[in-house]
Amino acid sequence: MNISRYIEDNQVSATSGLAIDEMLASRVGTGQSPQTLRLYTYKSHCALVGRFQNIESELNLDYCLEHGISVNRRPTGGGAIIMGSEQLGVALAIPGKSDDSYAGVREQMARFSRGIVAGLSSLGCSIEFRRKNDLEIAGKKIAGLGLHRTPSGGLLFHASLLVDLDVPLMLNVLNTPFEKLSDKEISTVAERTTTVRREVGENLSVDEVREKILEGYQEAFQVDIQKGNYSDAELVEAQNLENSKYLDKNWIYQTTDVPDSTGKAKVKTAGGLLDVRMVLAGKMIKSTFIGGDFFTSENAIADLEQSLRWHSSQSKLILGTINKVYKRWSDDLATLPQEALIRALEMALKRAEVSAKKVAVDPYGCFVSPGSVHV
Amino acid sequence: MKQQFKFKPGFYYNSNHLWIKEDDSGQLLVGMDELGLDSMGELAYLMLPTVGSPVELGKAMGSIEAAKMTSELIAPLSGIVMERNEAALRNPLLVNEKPYDEGWLVRIEPTQWAVEANTMISGDQVTAWWNEEIERFETQGMLD
Repeated sequence: MNISRYIEDNQVSATSGLAIDEMLASRVGTGQSPQTLRLYTYKSHCALVGRFQNIESELNLDYCLEHGISVNRRPTGGGAIIMGSEQLGVALAIPGKSDDSYAGVREQMARFSRGIVAGLSSLGCSIEFRRKNDLEIAGKKIAGLGLHRTPSGGLLFHASLLVDLDVPLMLNVLNTPFEKLSDKEISTVAERTTTVRREVGENLSVDEVREKILEGYQEAFQVDIQKGNYSDAELVEAQNLENSKYLDKNWIYQTTDVPDSTGKAKVKTAGGLLDVRMVLAGKMIKSTFIGGDFFTSENAIADLEQSLRWHSSQSKLILGTINKVYKRWSDDLATLPQEALIRALEMALKRAEVSAKKVAVDPYGCFVSPGSVHV
Repeated sequence: MKQQFKFKPGFYYNSNHLWIKEDDSGQLLVGMDELGLDSMGELAYLMLPTVGSPVELGKAMGSIEAAKMTSELIAPLSGIVMERNEAALRNPLLVNEKPYDEGWLVRIEPTQWAVEANTMISGDQVTAWWNEEIERFETQGMLD
């Protein structure tokens, strides 16, 4: 890689932030723009769903409207996120080889995130790239990653790095499997994610983190990245893309044929009640929440939950993943019997599948084919 | 390792790891091969062109998401979409699980197949190309 340009933006709108990222990747693909690292923040706050997610399933749109939170759709995959002045957007626009269109996703994600790993390591964080393409510290997610290949052959690598996170706001914006949002749920979620400030220090500024990430990319790729600006042609193209795509309701409210469904199960164990909730996208596990009144390490539970994100719902594959996590946290998970967890997961999964079948039989409001305006 | 990934004899393949199968009616079935699917991971989402819409060789005809990467599906031929796999649209994992039969993507009435078939790898060329691709993927760390 020969990343030569660095661009810094602050407080961008959702539509502009997304349009500039895509414009850069598209132009790098055709050789019209230099390989670029962009480190930027959004205006607080916006909620961005993954490329194919149903926005009405993912977000509490009434809450967003009431609180002036703009909503939009990323070109990259993954789940819904909130972005604002304390979440750092990392966008890398680089060329992709045309003959590797679908190849080596995990390898590429790990490679492109090396700059973030190097930057946060220099702040003293023991950060690692794991599983479904996330950056984690001791099992807790600190940054979500996504990748988009443009039709022109450009690649957009994107990361949302949590310098800080307003957990109650996030839980109000995102639709969660919780029946109600109590202090307990809020503290549980807060314990299972982490932020740069929590790891390094509360006084750390976004600019200090940004500086370290820039240095991290320079070190990881041995490149001299010069601060630059957008060209006039780039700004025109980004504005056109913003108008034609990211301000277009057909893009933002696009739906998918893959149905979402939810299942939950409660199982009594010797250590206490185990409460499992699972959300499926088709036959893929989109997210899992493991709660209850048993006592164990939040890191171990966070690791279990993260391991089951974007995971196949095939029983044997779930079993394999659970076995690995139990081996990793054998002491911490001793109070949560493995067979009870597996039973609860299977029950929740079956209930989600039954719920999906019911929706398929009565598809009112569902399975709307995506519009063909934006492929 | 090489035995792990299989291609289907009699199919046409391209460098994007899409396959084409001719049927008796002259229409063509399009899908993704095992090697490309393994390197991408499990498909979470899939978007395909609507029935009746034209597709053009080398142009985007849909899009996919696997392992949080999104990408366009590039049409391996030109023609009109006659049918799309509704089961795969609702459950994209079907493409991973049964790539050469129930996991097909679209059925196309070709408009320039006589010429465009030459852009595909077929017949005796497939075995050598397939083994080269496996080696390339292994060398570049693209396989799980």
